[in-house]
Amino acid sequence: MVVKKWKLEKGASCYNCGDATIHDVEVDQYNIKIRCRDCGFARFYAFHMVNLPDKK
Amino acid sequence: MEVLFLKVHLRVFVEVENLGKAMNALVDAGITGFYVLEYKGMSPQDWKGFSIKEDPKSAVGLIRDYANDAMLICSVVDEDKTDKIVEEIMESLEGEKYTILEVPIKRIIVNYKQKESERAETWLLEKEVPCFYCGENAVQRIRIDMNKAKIWCTNCGAARYYLVKGVEKEEK
Repeated sequence: MVVKKWKLEKGASCYNCGDATIHDVEVDQYNIKIRCRDCGFARFYAFHMVNLPDKK
Repeated sequence: MEVLFLKVHLRVFVEVENLGKAMNALVDAGITGFYVLEYKGMSPQDWKGFSIKEDPKSAVGLIRDYANDAMLICSVVDEDKTDKIVEEIMESLEGEKYTILEVPIKRIIVNYKQKESERAETWLLEKEVPCFYCGENAVQRIRIDMNKAKIWCTNCGAARYYLVKGVEKEEK
């Protein structure tokens, strides 16, 4: 499982500062990082499991 | 001296075709918010002389066959403004069938969602890349909740799950 790092953006109200700001969303194989561009508050997610369907 | 600002629950029952007219009259009269209900109704003159079989099928069938489509527009208004609003409706619905009820309100309690839960919304993002599993160039959907995240391929359905690890306050 090789996944290139994705860099995404999402406009939303920040959990920390409450302002409607842009959040940088970085996704790679093992982690997701979401960071408010305004206040710098960041949330991290760690890889937990994978659910794979049967290959056709 | 006790000053009371009474509120009235104004209910306007109209036939479907008069909904627009009634709502325009209400807005012209200065109401700020309202809600609308669609219902099936029978007026006393239609109902007169009727007696129904008591099994559920007959009762439901009667409503389907005889009751008319109607609309109920409700609004909470200040008591001192009620007369003006009612006059406005009566004027614009002259000659039409309608019923107006004015119900005094004893107390109003309004509760808003707490800010925390308001912010804890779910985000949905998309990224079109080759899937790590099926290899097809397909939209990968990302769903981010407060405590977990899921990324799945819209082509093959392979899904990766992530759990929140922590938060950090970085410098700007």
